[in-house]
Amino acid sequence: MAIVALTVFIAAYTLIATERIHKVKVALGGAAVVLALGIVDSHDVFYSPETGIDWDVIFLLLGTMIIVGVLRQTGGFEYAAIWAAKRARGSPLRVMVLLVLITATASAILPNVTIVLLMAPVTLLVCDRLDINPIPFLIAEVLASNIGGVSTLIGDPPNIIIGSRANLSFNDFLIHLAPVAIIAMVAFVATLPLLFRGMFGVHADRVAEVMSLNEREAIHDMRLLIKSGVVLVGVLAALVATSAIHVEPSIVALIGAGVLVTISGVESVHYLASVEWETLLFFAGLFILVGSLVKTGMIADLARLAGGVTGGNPLLATMLILVVSAVLSGIIDNIPYVATMTPVVADLASTIPNPGHVQAMWWALAIGAGFGGNMTAVGASANVVMVGIAGREGYPIGFWQFTRKGAVVTALTVAVSAPYLWVRYFVFG
Amino acid sequence: MRAEQIAETFPAVALDSNALDAVRLLATHRLPGLVVTDTAGMPVTILPASQVVRLLVPPYVLDDPSLAGVLSESMADRVADKLGGKTVAQVLPKPLPDMSTVKADDTIVEVAAMMARNRSPLVAVISAEGLVGVITATRLLEVTLAPH
Repeated sequence: MAIVALTVFIAAYTLIATERIHKVKVALGGAAVVLALGIVDSHDVFYSPETGIDWDVIFLLLGTMIIVGVLRQTGGFEYAAIWAAKRARGSPLRVMVLLVLITATASAILPNVTIVLLMAPVTLLVCDRLDINPIPFLIAEVLASNIGGVSTLIGDPPNIIIGSRANLSFNDFLIHLAPVAIIAMVAFVATLPLLFRGMFGVHADRVAEVMSLNEREAIHDMRLLIKSGVVLVGVLAALVATSAIHVEPSIVALIGAGVLVTISGVESVHYLASVEWETLLFFAGLFILVGSLVKTGMIADLARLAGGVTGGNPLLATMLILVVSAVLSGIIDNIPYVATMTPVVADLASTIPNPGHVQAMWWALAIGAGFGGNMTAVGASANVVMVGIAGREGYPIGFWQFTRKGAVVTALTVAVSAPYLWVRYFVFG
Repeated sequence: MRAEQIAETFPAVALDSNALDAVRLLATHRLPGLVVTDTAGMPVTILPASQVVRLLVPPYVLDDPSLAGVLSESMADRVADKLGGKTVAQVLPKPLPDMSTVKADDTIVEVAAMMARNRSPLVAVISAEGLVGVITATRLLEVTLAPH
């Protein structure tokens, strides 16, 4: 049965990676196969924390998506982006830096894909007014969204999976990953003039076009914006306090969504439009597939193999996880990669006596998966969405055009992360 | 009464014609829409006026309607300028909108049902020889309400 489970898993993974068949069909189809073969049963799937669907992840995502669905009606992000462009006085480099900072900050607390969907149109507007090529801006923003998404538990789906499996709180991510995300962002912003050299010329008379944009018109409903802001702050505060109030992040997100939906008056068609049902089903199928590997012992075997390779050396294991995660996450979607690796790392971590070193391994996984997602145009969902929007708007971004920039940024951000992990958890740990 | 009996001749624009000229044709003659043909003269789509108006809206505003009010009045007044220098093929949405068509011998109810199903105020009447003409919603109502 272990071989069968592994075969089904590899086949599914290959189909997901090559995108020959839609990934939701693959995940659900693979789950159906392992269920039909009796490798896992309903108890394994619905109730087991080791082998089953991680309901905390599913409902944290659902709650966050609903909150975003209401936030999107406010025009707040568009206001911020246009305000930033005007503060930059139409200078393309300054505009890029400010938009990148807004994107990274927003991506730390909201799903990356949604931030990309919100930032792309306003970026195209600003570039249209300046009469400059929007492609560098779109690429820079999606790279920033993946960097910013690393910094908190809810910043990107891989972190949500890791947090749930490793029992790491919102504060744990904030304390341990926000610093490295900030360092990586500083390094990234510093390289923007080189990375997009020659792309920052603009005619002086186009600056007036940007300065005449009226950002206040982007906000339709100030009361809704205030209500949404209050609920979002409340959700973030509750996430910070989850350890003290003993409430799971998923519950916090669901309560926040319920409160916001009730007080906002936004119709269900709007807030449900932001719920990515396909993503949630994809997660469910993926968890079942990985659960079948856990149940048949394949994960434990893989962890033993990894332990053998590293010889039980936690520093080597941490760096290996960081680099391998960065490379593989760049090639295949980081979500199935992390869903597979979390039980492997959990097993590996159980052999490490020092809790600080154990945490380092989890952070290496989160950093590698998050920053590695920047490497190629298919490394993260946000990349795929951005490239799709750009193409639809008449600005096609080629795979290698993206990868030339993404690979550099991945190398840079992983390079600054490695000494961070070493110094913090092995020198001073 | 059959569709071919109530169809009217409609101005057509080719895919490779100037987009601004095409829109100007619609505006000048106050047409309810445009028939778009390929280089061989075969109809490829029909654009109701509301869809032609859509061509004036910047794509980023279609993606995010909250940006519509952000543009200044002078920018908004010049919104048609972006059509200049472009062909009809370049500004049409991709994929091309499906063309609402009826057969030449379809009845008025079949024509009305096609308009209602596709929410289109224009349908093309097609026979074995090709495009017979176009029926507008107004024309359909006129014929339906006429005394028999």
